[in-house]
Amino acid sequence: MKSISIDILLIVGVLITLLSVLGMWRMRDPYQRMHFISAPAALSAACFTAAIFLQDGLKPEAFKALLTTLVLIGMNTAVTHAAARALRISETKEWSPPPGEEVPIRADDEMVTAEQKQ
Amino acid sequence: MNVWELAAEVMIFALAPLTWMAIRGDVRQRLVAFYMAGVVITLLLMLLTMAFNRMPMMDLALTLALMSFGGGIVFAHFLARYLK
Repeated sequence: MKSISIDILLIVGVLITLLSVLGMWRMRDPYQRMHFISAPAALSAACFTAAIFLQDGLKPEAFKALLTTLVLIGMNTAVTHAAARALRISETKEWSPPPGEEVPIRADDEMVTAEQKQ
Repeated sequence: MNVWELAAEVMIFALAPLTWMAIRGDVRQRLVAFYMAGVVITLLLMLLTMAFNRMPMMDLALTLALMSFGGGIVFAHFLARYLK
């Protein structure tokens, strides 16, 4: 039973990673592609960590794997935001929307310009 | 060959599309591919540690995860500041 659980966790983790990489490859722009980093960083790493805990129990390497997973999850949020900010600055020269740019306030709102927002 | 080794060998194929993006894409796509490669290689090191039963190698995965964080922030800053 334990070995079957480990096999399933590994298969799920590897499949999530492969599908995320293929999805990233198929997307058009970098903003869409960045979304696909979160799945392997959170889900695959959690699956592998769970498999390591099942295999080895409460050993130091299992806790190192857990720490690695927590670092990946925390890193992913910060680095993805930093990358999106950098990409926007490299395209529009500044982070905040310039006057006249359409900015959605809520998902169900109509698009309004920054001037109308003020 | 145990299941960990098999999983690691399959995971290596995830690096092929990332390599393609890094070779053929523009600088923005290369940056995103670099981030994803950091995550994939970190997971790969975790699997290889278990596959070869060399437990101190888990430190490499942890170190790479931490270094990818610093490297990613530096590359993002470099992109925003110098590669406009």
